[in-house]
Amino acid sequence: MTNYLDLELTEINKLLKAKKIKPIDLVEEAFARIKKDELNDFITLNEKAREEAKALENLEVDNLLFGIPIAIKDNIVTKGLRTTCASKMLENFDSVYDATVIEKIKAKHMIIIGKTNMDEFAMGSTGETSYFGNTLNPRDKSRVPGGSSSGSAASVASHEVVLALGSDTGGSVRQPSGFCGIVGLKPTYGCVSRYGLVAFASSLDQIGPMSKNVYENAVLLNAIAGLDEKDLTSVKQEKDFTSLIGKDIKGLKIGVPNYYMSDVIDIEVRNKIKEVLELLKKKGCEVDYIDIPNLEYAIPLYQVIALGEASTNLARFDGVKYGFLSDQEKLEDMYTYTRSIGFGAEVKRRIMVGSYVLSGENAKTYYYKALRLRHNIVENFKKAFKKYDLLLGPTNTNVAYPFNRHLDNVLQSFYDDLLTIPVSMAGLPALALPVGFNKENLPIGLQIIGNYFKEDEIYQLASAIESELKLDLKIGSDK
Amino acid sequence: MLVPTIGIEVHVELKSNSKVFSRGKNDFNDDINTNVDEIDLAYPGTLPALNKDVITMAMKACIAFHCDITRHMHFDRKNYFYPDLPKGFQITQQDTPIGRNGYVEIKTDEGIKKIGIERIHIEEDTCKSIHSGKQTLLNYNRAGVPLIEIVSKPVIKDGKEAMLYLESLRENLLYLGVSDVKMEEGSMRCDANVSLKEEDSPVLGTKVEIKNIGSISKVAISINYEIERQKKILESGGKMKEETRRFDDKTETTILMRVKETGNDYRYQPEPNIPFVDIDDKWYNDTVESIPTLPAAMRDEYEQLGISSNNINTLIAYKELNDFYREIYKDIDSVILANLLTGDILSHLNKNNIELKDTCLTKENILKLVTLLSKKEITSKQGKEILPYLLTTNNSVDKIIDDLGIKGLDNSELETIVKNVINANNQSVVDYKAGKEKALKFLIGQVMKETKGQANPETLNKMLIDLINKM
Repeated sequence: MTNYLDLELTEINKLLKAKKIKPIDLVEEAFARIKKDELNDFITLNEKAREEAKALENLEVDNLLFGIPIAIKDNIVTKGLRTTCASKMLENFDSVYDATVIEKIKAKHMIIIGKTNMDEFAMGSTGETSYFGNTLNPRDKSRVPGGSSSGSAASVASHEVVLALGSDTGGSVRQPSGFCGIVGLKPTYGCVSRYGLVAFASSLDQIGPMSKNVYENAVLLNAIAGLDEKDLTSVKQEKDFTSLIGKDIKGLKIGVPNYYMSDVIDIEVRNKIKEVLELLKKKGCEVDYIDIPNLEYAIPLYQVIALGEASTNLARFDGVKYGFLSDQEKLEDMYTYTRSIGFGAEVKRRIMVGSYVLSGENAKTYYYKALRLRHNIVENFKKAFKKYDLLLGPTNTNVAYPFNRHLDNVLQSFYDDLLTIPVSMAGLPALALPVGFNKENLPIGLQIIGNYFKEDEIYQLASAIESELKLDLKIGSDK
Repeated sequence: MLVPTIGIEVHVELKSNSKVFSRGKNDFNDDINTNVDEIDLAYPGTLPALNKDVITMAMKACIAFHCDITRHMHFDRKNYFYPDLPKGFQITQQDTPIGRNGYVEIKTDEGIKKIGIERIHIEEDTCKSIHSGKQTLLNYNRAGVPLIEIVSKPVIKDGKEAMLYLESLRENLLYLGVSDVKMEEGSMRCDANVSLKEEDSPVLGTKVEIKNIGSISKVAISINYEIERQKKILESGGKMKEETRRFDDKTETTILMRVKETGNDYRYQPEPNIPFVDIDDKWYNDTVESIPTLPAAMRDEYEQLGISSNNINTLIAYKELNDFYREIYKDIDSVILANLLTGDILSHLNKNNIELKDTCLTKENILKLVTLLSKKEITSKQGKEILPYLLTTNNSVDKIIDDLGIKGLDNSELETIVKNVINANNQSVVDYKAGKEKALKFLIGQVMKETKGQANPETLNKMLIDLINKM
C-alpha cells in the first residue's frame, strides 16, 4: 500500500502538480486503508469516487484541494450519495440536492470518499447512538472516538482521508477531534452555510473542518466559508483564514476562564494545558486566569434550547414525504409507529425533553428564560474579548473513555460537552488542537476560543503552538 | 337579553410571484405538484428563504387598515402534526404580527361603524389535501404560498355587519392589488367565532368557531343561524360547549366537527433560521407611496361627480370595470360613462359570462359614444342600439351609425326642419302661445316624423320653444 495520505497537503499537491501521482492513487489508498482499519467509521462509501478521480486527470491542478480525498459527515446532504444521519429513519434516503458546502468542495475538485458514521442525528458524544453501530477510536479500538462527528474524526486521525467535514452543535467537531488527536474547528455561527446540513439545533449548528494540522484546517475553511443566500444566518466575509499563520504571537493577550480549569477536569489534562500556558508566556503572550460568569448554566441551557429546537426540526420525519414509513390504517398510528420505530432511543428522549420545555406554560418557565440567560452568556463573553484576544482551556474534561460508560447515565453524557457548550451558546469560533498525550498514550486537546470571525487569530496561535510542540500524531508511531 | 359577540379570522393568499419561504412559483392553479422545490417538500437540510415582496404586500394591507406596523419583527414556529404540513410546523408570526390595532369602516343602517382589527400577521399556507376514497393525496403547489391572517376584534354584532366587514376587507385588498380575494377559489378564507352573553355581563360567553364557509353572503347566513341556535340552547337552560362547527351549504346550518378539549398546545418557538426583519423608514415610506386610491376615496369622488350610489357600488364591486372607468372618466361625462358600464355593458358581461377584456370595447369607441350622448347628438335609445356592436365588433362608432342607418342629426339640420314645421303649422304656434300645451306636443310629433325619430327630444323641445318665443 502507498503512503501518500500520510503526507502533508502541500506535498500531495506538489506530487499531483508534477503528475507524479494521480487523484485515483489517493482514492485507491483511501479505500484500502478504510478496508484495513475496520473502524466502522464510514456508513456509505462513494462508489463513484474512482470515476470522479479519473475525470480529474485531464484537468489542471488549480488549487491546493484539487483531487484531495475528503470524508463527509452523514448529516450533510449529497445528491446521488445517500444521507442517513446514522438513523433508521433515513436508512435509504437520497437527497435531491447538494448542501452548499458540498457544492463548494466539488468546485475545488475534491473527491468525496464517503459519508461518515456519527451519533444518530448528531445526538450523542460517543458515536454509540448510531443505527449503524459504533465507530472505533483508531488510537484504541476499545474506546469511543467521541461524537457526534465520530467517523469524520476517526477517518482523519487514521489517515484514511486528508480532510473531513463535521458538524458541531454543542461540541460535535471539537470533542471527537480531541478524543482522536486531530485539529477540529467550530467556526463562528454564520461563517459557514448550513444549507444542506440536516438540522439538529438551528441556532447552534455549524459545519466545521477537521484535519491533521492547523494549516490544512484553515485551507478547508477558506473553501467552505462565506455568505450563502440560501442561509439567512450566514454572513459575508472574505478573509483568508491562513493569513496570520506563522505570524509572531508575542503580545497576544490570552484569558483562561477559571471554569475551564476547575477540579472537574482531569488532572493530567489540566497539567498538560498548564504546560502550554507556560510555553506561551515564554513566547511573550500575556496569560491571565479570569472569571466569566454563568458559564456553569450552559449545559442546562443547552438541554432546553438545543432540544427544544431539535423537537421541532425533527417533526418533518413523519413518513409522508421520504424516509422510513410504517404504513398504518389510522393517521395517528402512522405517526406513532413511524417515529417510534424510525428513531433511536436517544433521539426520542431528546424530542420528548424538547417538546416538554416548549409545552404550554413550560415555554415561559424554561425556554424563554433560557433564551434570556443565553443572551447574558453572550454579553459575558463579549466583555472578556474586550480585554483578551483569545481564550484558552481544555477541549474535554478527560480523554477518550471505553465504550458503554454512559449507557446507565444519560445525563452524564452531556457533561462531556461541559467545555464546548458555553462557546456554542455564544456562537463563538473555537478550535480543538492536540497538545500531547496522557500516560495511557491518549491525546489531550487544547481549546482555543476566538472572538466572532477571528478564526484567523485562532489559527495563528494554534499554529504557533503546533510548531513549538512538534507532536508526532501519526497512529502507530513511537512517541 | 342575550347579545352576540362575533369575531372573524380571515386568511388571504397574497399574489407574490414566488412563495414566502422558498423560491417555488406561487401559482396554485398550475399542474398539480409542479410548483415545488426542496424547501416546500421540507427536505432535510433545507432552510427558509424570505420573500421581501410578501412583507411589502402585507405592509400595504396593514397601512390600508390603519394598523400600527411592527418595524422590528420576527417569525415563529407553530408546531403540530398533519400530513398537509410538510415541516411539522408552520412558520407564522405569533409574538410580533406585522400589524396591530387597525380598523375598517363599514356603513350600517345606524351610520359609519369602525370594526377593530386586533392583528395582521404573515404565515405560510399548507399543502392542499385531496381526499379520494380511502386515500388522501397532497398538492404541494399550495405549500408555502404566502398568507396574511386578519383577526378582527370581537365587536361584530350580527351576520349583516360581518358581511359588510368582509366586503370592505375584500374590496380594499383587491384594490391594493395584493390578492385575488376570491372566497370561492380559496384565496380568501373565513372563520367566524360566535358567542352569546347577557347584555350587561362583562364576561364573554363560550365561543363556537364556524369553519368552511364558502362565500361572503354565506358568512352572514351561518352567523345568523348560529346565533339563533345558541339562543335556543341558552334560553332553554342549556350550556354551550367550546366547539368547532362547519357550515353546511345544502341545509344552510352549522354541523358539529369537534368539541375542543384543552387548548391546543402549538409549542410556539422563535424561528431560528430567519433573523429579525427591520422595516426601515425608506421601505415603509416607499410602501405608503405605492398605495393606490382605495374604494373609500373613490366613493367620495364619485359622489362628488353625481354618480348614483347604486352605480358607485357596482363600479367598485367590479374592479375591471372600475379600472376601465378610471382610465377615461376625467375626459368625458362621467355619469353617462358610469351608466353605460354598470348598465348595458355589465349585463352583457354577465349574460355571456365573460370579462371586459374578452369584448371588443375600445376606449376610443366608448369615448366617442359618450361624447355623442352627452352632446345629445344621438338619443339614449340610439346609444342602446349602438352599444352591442361596440362590444362584439371592431367597427368604429361612425361605421355602426352608418350601418344602422342612424343619422346623427346636427343642430343646424334640426333647426331647418323645426323652422319648416313651424311655418307649415302656424295655427299650432298660435295655440301654443295661447297656452295650449297640446299644440307643442303636436309640433314635436311633426318634427319627429320628419326626422324619423332621430331628434333628441330634449334638444328639440328647447329649440322649438326658443324659436316660437322669438317669433
